[in-house]
Amino acid sequence: MSPKIRLLVFLAAVVCILPAVGRLALQMPAFGAHPLPYGDAIDAAAPGERHVTNMVSAINFDYRGFDTLGEEFMLLCAVTGTVVLLRGHRGEALEARPGIVRGRAIAPRSEAVALISRLTAPVIVLFGVYVALHAMTTPGGGFQGGVIIATGMLLAFFGDGYPGWRRVSNSKVLDAFEGGGAALYALCGFASMLLGLPFLTNFLPIGTLKDVFSGGLMLVENAGVGLAVTGSFLLLFLEFLEETRTKKPKDGP
Amino acid sequence: MKILLAVLLLMLAASGTGVVLTRTPLRQVLALSVNGAVLALLFMALQAPDVAFAEIVVGAAAVPLLFLVVLASIRMDRSPRAPDRL
Amino acid sequence: MNWLPWAVAAWLLGIGLYGVVTSRNYVHLIGCLSVVQAATYVLLLGVGYRWNAVAPIFYDHPPGTPSVDPVVQALVLTDVVIGATVTALLLAMALQLHKNRETLDPQQLRPLRE
Repeated sequence: MSPKIRLLVFLAAVVCILPAVGRLALQMPAFGAHPLPYGDAIDAAAPGERHVTNMVSAINFDYRGFDTLGEEFMLLCAVTGTVVLLRGHRGEALEARPGIVRGRAIAPRSEAVALISRLTAPVIVLFGVYVALHAMTTPGGGFQGGVIIATGMLLAFFGDGYPGWRRVSNSKVLDAFEGGGAALYALCGFASMLLGLPFLTNFLPIGTLKDVFSGGLMLVENAGVGLAVTGSFLLLFLEFLEETRTKKPKDGP
Repeated sequence: MKILLAVLLLMLAASGTGVVLTRTPLRQVLALSVNGAVLALLFMALQAPDVAFAEIVVGAAAVPLLFLVVLASIRMDRSPRAPDRL
Repeated sequence: MNWLPWAVAAWLLGIGLYGVVTSRNYVHLIGCLSVVQAATYVLLLGVGYRWNAVAPIFYDHPPGTPSVDPVVQALVLTDVVIGATVTALLLAMALQLHKNRETLDPQQLRPLRE
């Protein structure tokens, strides 16, 4: 259908739904009334049962651990799809010459950028490892720590250019990180089945409250998620940055 | 606290509108980055530090970077005909 | 103030869908999809909020102080990271589309054209 007709259909739909949305927005419970009992039950039970102080991590890795397994495999599928789309078209050989846009000068890299990237990248990676480790006590966890580590390692591209980026990122190692992280999470579930318990039961000793190494099996699952997220994001950055290299000589003048 | 939440919610509505109304993809990347930062501030005001962590790294750094790299390789791939706006 | 978060979520959903409907560039369309995702985050976290409550981390406060809902925070947390990955998949598809058809305009890319 033509764009005008599409816009008219959209506006007609909005006009029809708007009274329902308005009535619903006015009949929702008032903001801040908090009528959710599940969260309060977990707040009351989790520090005593699991000896963790981060309720969000307890829900992600223990009370609703099965949902996180599904999310992790969603991550794996999305990254696999991206890699198949990009690598399949290009082939596995990796070029190293930068792509050029006609009529645009290449600015030289400034030394201040290189210095600041070299100074701050290890600090950011260390901070990401800290955030990922302290999942059970303070705000943090595998998801947050993984993306911080991946973004910190990307500073190697800003500071040292493409050769520096290729030195720190090896696509076989990143494949192993990503698949290994997802497999570690699934193996945690099967390990508890080997002991005769249901899938993903927390069977390791759960430690003391407010200690970094508390929570039992949640720590291993957290490590799996952190590895998988780091590997996934670095693999995405690697594949997309490879697309900006010249692939084959363009036929033409 | 009420005023802070109200101001942040209105800022989020404005930045979301800005993302949609910026038609040039290259400028929309900056609007996306601003949207991610405002969203992270709103999550902090709503007492959700875990979510704010993830959102500020993903929404302000990782996703705009992916957008920029895709725009760069699209611009490189374009055959040298009449230059159309990107 | 009682209905402001729901209204902002509905507004972001509507304007994001308007952007998807009237977009002339697939990369712009993917940006509008992330606005729609932001609408769902605001709605979920708004439902779980409680006035004068702390974050659901009991490291400094004793367990038992009233906190905001941790269940919706767990939902939004995984959603943020996975949503970024799905955005990357969509961007890879847009890149392949540009390589094959040389244009990124949804109006000019009808199925079953040739």
